[in-house]
Parts: sequence; structure tokens; C-alpha cells
Amino acid sequence: MMSRFSLSRLSIGSRLFISAILCSLIILFGAGLVLSTIYRRASERAFDERLQVYVQSVAANLASKNVSNVFDPYGLGDPRFTLPLSGWYWQIRTEGLAKPEVTSSISLFGGRLPKLETLNVPAHDGTAREGYIIGPDERRLRLVERAIEFPDGSRFLVQIAGNADEIELTIQSFGKALWTSFGLLALALGVTTIFQVRFGLLPLSRLSNEISAIRRGSSDHVSGKFPDDISPVADEINLLLDVNRDILARARTQVGNLAHALKTPLSVLINEVSDEDTPIANKVREQTSLMRDQVNWHLDRARAAARAGVIGVATDIAPAVAGLERTFLKIYTDKNLTIESILAPDLKFRGEKQDLEEMLGNLVDNACKWARRQVVIKASAFTGANDHPFVVFDVSDDGPGLPPEKRTEVIKRGERLDETVPGTGLGLSIVADLAKLYGGELTLDSAENGGLRALLRLPAV
Amino acid sequence: MRLLVVEDDKDLNRQLVKALSQAGYAVDSALDGEEGQFLGETEPYDAVILDLGLPKIDGVKVLESWREAGRVMPVLVLTARDAWSDKVKSFDAGADDYVTKPFHIEEILARLRALVRRASGHASSDLVCGPVRVDTRSGRVLVDGEAIRLTSHEYRLMSYLMHHVGRIISRTELVEHLYDQDFDRDSNTIEVFVGRLRKKLGIDVIKTIRGLGYVLEPPAPPSA
Repeated sequence: MMSRFSLSRLSIGSRLFISAILCSLIILFGAGLVLSTIYRRASERAFDERLQVYVQSVAANLASKNVSNVFDPYGLGDPRFTLPLSGWYWQIRTEGLAKPEVTSSISLFGGRLPKLETLNVPAHDGTAREGYIIGPDERRLRLVERAIEFPDGSRFLVQIAGNADEIELTIQSFGKALWTSFGLLALALGVTTIFQVRFGLLPLSRLSNEISAIRRGSSDHVSGKFPDDISPVADEINLLLDVNRDILARARTQVGNLAHALKTPLSVLINEVSDEDTPIANKVREQTSLMRDQVNWHLDRARAAARAGVIGVATDIAPAVAGLERTFLKIYTDKNLTIESILAPDLKFRGEKQDLEEMLGNLVDNACKWARRQVVIKASAFTGANDHPFVVFDVSDDGPGLPPEKRTEVIKRGERLDETVPGTGLGLSIVADLAKLYGGELTLDSAENGGLRALLRLPAV
Repeated sequence: MRLLVVEDDKDLNRQLVKALSQAGYAVDSALDGEEGQFLGETEPYDAVILDLGLPKIDGVKVLESWREAGRVMPVLVLTARDAWSDKVKSFDAGADDYVTKPFHIEEILARLRALVRRASGHASSDLVCGPVRVDTRSGRVLVDGEAIRLTSHEYRLMSYLMHHVGRIISRTELVEHLYDQDFDRDSNTIEVFVGRLRKKLGIDVIKTIRGLGYVLEPPAPPSA
């Protein structure tokens, strides 16, 4: 399945939808990342400020030398500093001495807080640092420290640590709300995109329906109103169809005119010498009959060539068959033939009426020529590969038939142009050629009563 | 038998008129659709040869207007367009047969004979009335198997009568069907021809119905 997939065959709707969804997802994801980073910073700053309050109160105590207050286990007014391993700690380091003196909260339970300076955390304002550390209980802690120097030269490093889980919890709940709402937003965008694509491409799918109707033959023009940006396309298609038909009609007329222009003088020549038996009369007879055959043969080809590539035409089969039936009953009046036609209802041939009549005319003419009493024309609809509908004509007679080895020869006669001697009996090869132009096929078979049975398969609507 | 040839090519028209006259028909000719249509509407022809590619009025239109006006004479269509769609169109317009150009005059003659015969209800190319037999293919008249020599006018008269055995045919009808439009029409000449024909046939098949015309009937069996 994947090997059949190709990006260039992706529908415009899917392209629009996929690109819109991808863009919104990237933008939403980026915005989410930025927002959560900002929120994290803000939460940390808020937490740090809470810790700074303690730092300040410790510093104030140190300044007033209220040492007892400083070392009072309850001095900071927060019971968490007295609960062992609560995650809330303070620690004062006396610096500048040979052996630093360290005082810490009860909660630290004899443990020590590391110096941020030694963890390479950069200081700001020259003296303050914030950062994460792993505490004595293996918990992540947020640590704020500040170096304080009094005018008397005594230096202290005050450190306050709080449980980092608090920050993480608020960030997590924010993240949850953020991604949920962004997810909903993405969903809403997706739905809107689908609607936009559908609505926006509606005229295009209408145009495509119109064109396929033309191809099927159920319509001959792009009709209906289209928005300004694609109505030129519709107009161009109509123009193209008109030009196509026009060229075809002109080619046919020209072929017809040529036929008339050549054949009338040929008739005159042939008849002028018909009573004479001189060498020159014989030569004229011989050459004119050659010319007549050549003209007929090439005109038939030219007509067939003028037909190739017609689109948007459909022909009702029943009236065409009825017309041919009337014609052949008149032509073969003296043979007293019966022509029976059994047609499935509502059959339509996807092509020109003239071509259908030419193909069927040749088949029925051939059948009438050889038939003893009866010619039967059947037509029925089938569905072929790729769901293409087609119609099969079955023209059979009760004549002598044709041996199998001759059948292909009769059909192929027209194909090998140079080896061919144009002349009579080209009818079936013309049918085969025309059928091929339409993507159809002519096969010969024998009828039940021994006559010839011609099967003609043509595209239907 | 009187025919109309409508063909715009002068040479072909001349050839057709010549060949048809030689074959014993009285022939009128027209070189365009307008003249052809007028003649076909006003004159009683036994058959028409009509080219389809005509100046002024197209052949198919001419044919249609004849049929609409109730003219039922057999029409042989002549055309260079040999597609079946053209043939269907001509037959639907009222044609009785169809010959495509280029053609041999013999083919036209054969088709015409068949058309005229069919129009008068005969199945065979041999017309028989008692001991008299007319072979329309060779244009010979035989009495008791023996050929008799007729002039072209006499043959025309004989052939017309033989096509309508048992029907009373007025002198006017005979004049209309035996002579082309340029002929000096004097119905008295008909009497002269009928007289000569009777003499040459030697048997009494052409009967005169006073005040009405002539009728061709097989001689009554000898009553004894």
C-alpha cells in the first residue's frame, strides 16, 4: 500500500488539512513550551522570594547580634525548620575563620547543606545565589544563599532551603491545564480546518464532478456558476470542448468535400470510357478503378483519424439501430430478410453517432449480404475492469459463415497498410480500426446456425 | 418510363441522360436543387436519380419536400458521401436506393430497373402478359419466344404498359410518362404508336377503352 502512495497524488483537501494541522500543532507546541518555561521561572522566583524573606530575617538577626534568636530553633517562626528532614532547612556559615563555624536548623538533623558556589552556580548582585541541590534526605531542594559582610568584618553565608516538590507541583498542575486546553484548541482548529477545506474546495469538487460527467458522456458542457478564481478554468474547458468539436466537424466536412470533389470527376471518367474498347480507354478504366479504391480507402482512414480523441459525447443506441434497420430493410428489399433487434434498455455508446452507425452499418451490411433469411442484432451492457461500463453488440446471420483461419485475416486487412490492396471487403477491418480508436474490440465467431457472428465491444455510458 | 436526373456536375449529368435515354427511358434533367425540386413536384416521374450534394437546395431537403408533398416515385440517391450515417439520413428522408460515387452506369441502370419494377409491384425483371414477355434487363420484347424489333419510343410505350398490366391508362398519363418535357406533346402520336405496336406484336393484347384510354390484358382464351 505504501509503495502506491505518492505525495504528488495527494488531494488538495488533504494537503490543506495536513499542512494546517501540522502548522497549528507546531505553533501550539512551541507556545506551550514557552509558556511553561515562563511559568517555571515565575514559580521559582516566587519560591525564591519566600526563601529570601527568611534570609533577610536571619540577616537582620545576625546584624542585631541577636544570636540567641538566630539559633533559636523556633526563631524563624516556621515549625517546618524544626521537624527533622522536613525539606525545609536553614544554615549559617561563619566565614573568614580558619575553621568555619556552621549553625543549622534542627530539621537538618546534623546534615550539611552544600555551598552553591562550589556547585558553580553563578551569583547575582555579587552575593546571592539560587539553585537546586539534593538534600540530606535525597530530596530535591531549592536553595537560596547569600553572603553577608558586616562593617566589623565578620562574614556569614546564610542558606535557606525549601522543598522543591512544591514548585514542581504547581508547575505540574499548570502544565496539565495548559496542555489540556491546548489539546482542545488543536482539536477545534482541526475541525475548523476540515470545514474550511470542504467549504473552500466545494466549487473545485463541483467542477471535477462536471468534468467527469462530460467524460462519462452524460453532459457536454461545464455548467453552473463558479467563483471568480476558477470560473476562467470552467470557461476554458468549455471553449476547449467547443474547439474540439469544431475541429472535428470541420475535419469531417473537409473529408466529405474531398470525397465529393474527387468522386464526381472519377464517375465522369469511368463512364466516359465505359463503351469504348481502345487501349487508352482500357488504361483509363484500369487507373480510375485503382484511384477509386485508393480514394475510398484513404477517406475511410481520414474519417477515422478525425474522430480520435472526442470527449463528452454520448449516443443513444436504440434510435441508431432502428435507423440502420429501416435502411437495411430498404436496401435488401429483394432478399426479403427479417432483421431482428434485441436491445437492453437505455443503452448509450460513449462516442459519436456517426461512428456508431459506421461500425454497426458495416457489420449489419456484411450480415445482410451473406444472410439467407435472417439477421439478428443484440446489444447488452456489461461492466468491465475498473468499473468501466461497456456495451457488446452481437450481429449474427444465417449465411455460410467464415472459417476460423479467415476471420483474423478479414479483421486485420486494414492494419498492414502497405501490403494491403485497397478494395472491397474492407468493411470489417474499418469496424475493427474504429472500435480500437474507442478502446473497443471486434471479434468474429460462428453463430449457432453456422452463420457469421460478429461481437463488437464498445465503451458505454 | 420517364425519369428525372438531378445532378450538378454537367459532365456526369450529360452521361447519365445519354445512357438512360439509350436504355429506353424518357429523361429530364436538372442541374440544381431548386430546379430539381420543382420538376419532381410538378411532373409525374417513374423514378428519380438524385444527387445529394446540390447547389441552391440540398438533395436531402429536396427529397424530404417531395415526400411531404406526397410524391411517392422511387428515388435513387447518388452521392459521394458513403458513410452509413449519410445513408441512414437519405433513407429516412425517403430514398429507395443508394449508389455511391464513383459508379458504373450499368449499376445505376440495374438499380433503376429494380426500383421501377418494385414500384409497380413486380418481383421479377421479366414482365409477362400472356404470350408477351419483356426482359427489362436486355430491353427485349418477345412474343411466343420470338424477339420483335421496336423503336425506342415503341419500347417505352410497351414497357410502361407491361408494368401496369390490367390497369386502364389514359392517353395523358402515357404522354406524361413516355416523353421528356422538351418533347412536343401531342396525344395523337400516342394513337399512332399504339397502332404500330399492335401491328408489330401481331396479337390483340392492347385494348382501347373508349373515352378512358388503353389497357393491356392477356388475350382471352379461345372460346370454343
